Amino acid sequence: MEFGLTEEQQQIREEVQRFAENEIVPQATAFDEEETFPHDIVDQAAEMGLVGSSIPIEYGGAGYSTLDTVIIAEELFSYDPGIALSILACSFGTEAIMEFGTEGQKERFLEPVAAGEKISGAAISEPDTGSDVSSVSTKAEKDGDEWVVNGNKMWITNGTVGDFFVVLCKTNPDAEGRYNGFSQIVVESDRDGFEADKITGKMGIRASDTAELIFDDVRVPEENLIGTRDAAFMQQMQFFDATRAGVAAQGVGIAKGALRNALEYAQDREQFGQSISEFQAIQHKLAEMATETEAARNLTYKAAWNVEQGNDVTKLASMAKEHASRTAVEVANEALQIHGGAGYVNDFPVERFYRDAKITQIYEGTTEIQKNVIARELLGKGF
Amino acid sequence: MKILVTVKEVATVEDEFEIEGTAIADQYLGEDLNEWDDYAIEEAVQLQENGVADEVVTVTIGPEDCEQTIRQALAKGADRAIRVWDDALEGVDLLDVGAKRSILQEVIAAEDPDLVLTGVQSGDDSWGATGVSLAEELDYEWAAVVNHLEHDLDDGIAAVRRELEGGVEELTDVELPAVLSIQTGINEPRYASLRGIRQAQRKPLDVQTLGDLGVDESAVEGAVTLTDMYEPESESDVTVWEGSADETASELGELLRDKGVAP
Ligand SMILES: Cc1cc2nc3c(=O)[nH]c(=O)nc-3n(C[C@H](O)[C@H](O)[C@H](O)COP(=O)(O)OP(=O)(O)OC[C@H]3O[C@@H](n4cnc5c(N)ncnc54)[C@H](O)[C@@H]3O)c2cc1C
Repeated sequence: MEFGLTEEQQQIREEVQRFAENEIVPQATAFDEEETFPHDIVDQAAEMGLVGSSIPIEYGGAGYSTLDTVIIAEELFSYDPGIALSILACSFGTEAIMEFGTEGQKERFLEPVAAGEKISGAAISEPDTGSDVSSVSTKAEKDGDEWVVNGNKMWITNGTVGDFFVVLCKTNPDAEGRYNGFSQIVVESDRDGFEADKITGKMGIRASDTAELIFDDVRVPEENLIGTRDAAFMQQMQFFDATRAGVAAQGVGIAKGALRNALEYAQDREQFGQSISEFQAIQHKLAEMATETEAARNLTYKAAWNVEQGNDVTKLASMAKEHASRTAVEVANEALQIHGGAGYVNDFPVERFYRDAKITQIYEGTTEIQKNVIARELLGKGF
Repeated sequence: MKILVTVKEVATVEDEFEIEGTAIADQYLGEDLNEWDDYAIEEAVQLQENGVADEVVTVTIGPEDCEQTIRQALAKGADRAIRVWDDALEGVDLLDVGAKRSILQEVIAAEDPDLVLTGVQSGDDSWGATGVSLAEELDYEWAAVVNHLEHDLDDGIAAVRRELEGGVEELTDVELPAVLSIQTGINEPRYASLRGIRQAQRKPLDVQTLGDLGVDESAVEGAVTLTDMYEPESESDVTVWEGSADETASELGELLRDKGVAP
């Protein structure tokens, strides 16, 4: 058994810390208040290689493993989840292209993302389709050598800033079985009939862009279909192990950041003639927060390590995602409590962490769905 | 053209700390790449990217622990690194300018660079003398506190801008080989890229002892000893008033009168 990080991984962690402290932290409150996408920070991050870091080296990425990207996500999220997501989500959807794309598709779509020239997105959810992915109704019909896409996608990260989206569409309405008849099709945002409406008023991760996408007879060439026609449901599910480990890392990062802020505040703030960190009630909070965070981290790293080994980790990835997102919410809550009234306004980052934490229990499969998956695996039931 | 950059891992100190004897207690110390050296590395790497330099080599005097910092320099674009360490250095409390000069001089003799870039000073010891003293010993030309360097280096001349007191700047031509001590602000140091970090793991990092370099052990026993370390008593306070100018102006006036600043 080996629990240490490699020298290279430590080096990545430290450089990401430096980047976050200098470039992200000073601007975090402003982007949260204004609810705008941090284009300049994302460009800088792309220069450093933080965008699309798992894209293979031959397409301009850093070729980083799931564990490497988990470490990066943890660090970035510990400084500001909204800006961190803006950076890391720039390559959403590209996993499908990496795994199932043709050589031509990889060159066309992966290279500009790795270079920071284009932003991608993954469009699965719809107004009537959330946890039940098999109810997707956006349809794509073949017309000559083109696909014609019609439908609405909801809650799409990067919706108004993205250049292209990997869209889960129903391509064969007559297919038997509820998981058949879906395809992943790339839709570029500059196609006629594409529209994106920004969703404002989000509780947290407000720097990250979220939108509703509307496809009205959008025509894309047949070369935009990724992988096997009508078999995309399974293609889509395949990435959940890696992406759920990724959201688990976001949760670990949020917990780590909230704890860091709480520790600092507890030592500075004095009441009854002493620092509040002298009170056992506060000490126990800090001890529990640190312990829970470490437990979530270990579960997350273990899941990521297993993804890297090519092992089946569906259960473990769901455990990590569920536990780490819950830890994020609980630790952020306690961190705010330690700040007292000062935590209730945005003078301190903890107020933002408290709001940002919640999303990790919702996207990439809700907490309830993770528990369904874990139980299904425990009971040996197929899905 | 070959450029040698001196790179030091410096100690960093937390805001609140305690002193034990003549040192700051370990638990308050961290380590980092010396800020000035970060600029020197960037300058060298830019010279290489612009096709002026062929090779950028870093040299560090320090124990194995500081290899992480050296890899940082390699990740930013230096080609290879030399680290000098020796049992004889282990016991030295304070490595003074003379000792550093004796070691670096031999590295330079072996590497024969066209240009040596050092930081103006190191953030912890702040001797501010290593670069210049090294040039003197080597009989190289030198320029200190350089905040701009022309990147053509035509005819073996480095055209530099130096920062003087009071915002005055001086333009000087320095003949190569030369030592330039680099001031912060000369460029904007990059973050190491993920690819750079990966490549850095495979770049050569050569470790040499005093014996390898032909430096006599006695050379590292400096003439200077550290006798005391203390925090100076603060001689002034800050007073902050919160509230509008209307509410606080008279309080400020009173304080100024009290302190004898205003009549
Ligand atoms: C900020 C943000 C960004 C997002 N980004 C993207 C994106 O980039 N791409 C994308 O495709 N989607 C994205 N989403 C959508 C997200 O993945 C969905 O919101 C999520 O999957 C939940 O779906 P839903 O909101 O429709 O909730 P529902 O599925 O309607 O769930 C409502 C409640 O019912 C529970 N529930 C549902 N089914 C079951 C069940 N079988 N058993 C027990 N409980 C159940 C849920 O757990 C939840 O508590 C994003 C959402 C947000 C808020």
